[in-house]
Amino acid sequence: MSTVPQAPASEAPSRRSFLRGAITVASGMSAAVAALAPLREIDSEDLPSIEGFLQKHYKEMSPAEMQAALERIRLEVRKRYDVDAIVRDVRPTEGVEFVYALNLSRCIGCRRCVHACVEENNQSRAPEIQYIRVLEMPRGTTDVERGNHHYDHPTVPDELHYYMPVQCHQCANPPCVKVCPVEATWQEPDGITVVDYDWCIGCRYCEAACPYWARRFNYTEPELASEQVNPLMSYLSNRPRPVGVMEKCTFCLHRVREGRMPACLEACPVGARKFGNVLDPESEVAHILREKRVFVLKEDVGTLPRFFYYFDERYPRADGTGADEAGAAPEGG
Amino acid sequence: MPAVASEPVRAVIPLVFLALATWFVRDARRSVALPIPAPSGVTRADLELGPPREPLRDPPTIQNGPFRQTCRECHDVFPSPADPQTSLLQHTHVVLDHGLNDRCYNCHRRENRDQLVLHDGRGIAFDEVALLCAQCHGPAWRDWQSGTHGRTTGYWDRTRGEPVRLGCTQCHDPHAPAFPPYVPLPGPSTLRMGRAAEGGPHARPENPLEKWKRPEEPEAHR
Repeated sequence: MSTVPQAPASEAPSRRSFLRGAITVASGMSAAVAALAPLREIDSEDLPSIEGFLQKHYKEMSPAEMQAALERIRLEVRKRYDVDAIVRDVRPTEGVEFVYALNLSRCIGCRRCVHACVEENNQSRAPEIQYIRVLEMPRGTTDVERGNHHYDHPTVPDELHYYMPVQCHQCANPPCVKVCPVEATWQEPDGITVVDYDWCIGCRYCEAACPYWARRFNYTEPELASEQVNPLMSYLSNRPRPVGVMEKCTFCLHRVREGRMPACLEACPVGARKFGNVLDPESEVAHILREKRVFVLKEDVGTLPRFFYYFDERYPRADGTGADEAGAAPEGG
Repeated sequence: MPAVASEPVRAVIPLVFLALATWFVRDARRSVALPIPAPSGVTRADLELGPPREPLRDPPTIQNGPFRQTCRECHDVFPSPADPQTSLLQHTHVVLDHGLNDRCYNCHRRENRDQLVLHDGRGIAFDEVALLCAQCHGPAWRDWQSGTHGRTTGYWDRTRGEPVRLGCTQCHDPHAPAFPPYVPLPGPSTLRMGRAAEGGPHARPENPLEKWKRPEEPEAHR
């Protein structure tokens, strides 16, 4: 194309090579700027506040700093949902270790616990994050691979199945805590494994480590209407979460540390759920562990769950016999 | 000369950059369609269990037209047949579905209708109905006493509040004690659980891991 001899490199560039270089640089810069275009969609309100960014780890906060953090959360809730929330930091009690027991002979799979949990803990509604999943299991096996999450019979229970709700087992040897690279999740003295949502970096290692699939990730901005917000909040449990953090069942920490029962238990119509302090020998759960036939899920993985399944002596068999022996329903059921 | 040889290549570089810029800008405008399932639509009202069953308390009364009467006020005046099980003219709303226990006087005391009757003929108050049930349902009675049968709500910590325990007839209709079936609330819709595959209530969600699994043997006990 060009027969004109090129100027030696040491001399000033020609007009043509300068323009060519300038066009290349300009188009390269415009491509770089265009690649950053998605940043325009960042809402300044989605960015962490300076106080939130500088906030210390939960365990390192002084009482005054905790009060400031709770106040910040309260203001954020008011701004985001127009709700006047009561945000607290409820601490564990000495001499209390929580244990859950669930009676598989009683559970009918109505999923009321699932949705009561969502109502109580301010989970995202779309997608709806559910801590509890109810497995419909064929009679005669505890192989969870054969469980079905999506059963939709007109009414439950179905005669050929039993129902096994699974939620966080609050393990005494929790693999989710071990894998967290930033110590954003830990086990409290009363046995509840909690997450500091302001410390979590969203790597989801804990979700992968949990053998019970008990942790949930906020893939999207949690969607929650103002009238759905439960205004009674606590730092470690049901305060609204931002996008990109893990969350999990805390046995309704804000309720149970004040002596009340978890929301899933309150919603159970058949009394299949039992909760209490296992260190109290008079408690219902201590009695169940002593007297009932109890098992834990995936015992072989060594997680030492605090969530126990038990069943009653007699249970109607799949062929329908057993239920009406001696004219009585199973154990008065 | 190398500069001359690469000249067409160098001319293409700005074009590539401009094409990239156009693509980035268009891509940023395109909204990302996340597969977000719709809300389940469950409200607090759906979770209301309602008040527990209202059993007859002491003294047992029923509304008879405009009058509120105890059982004795009628039954002491009008004798009822010795074995009224097959021919109820009164109390027709009672549906008796209690297994082999299908005689009124198995539980109701014939001599005093304001009482219930134990197997040995002793009368007990309606409030003590658990003693009556316990005669047949021993394991349930034992479990109920220790709190492992029946609902316990309210407080687990007695120093802070009282637990709420329900009696036999606050959950079970003594005439038809089997628990009624419930309509299940909607199932999971979180992203990772996916949607139920088409094909009926027992369909399983599509699990990419199952591609490597052998086809399942038919389940024997279905």
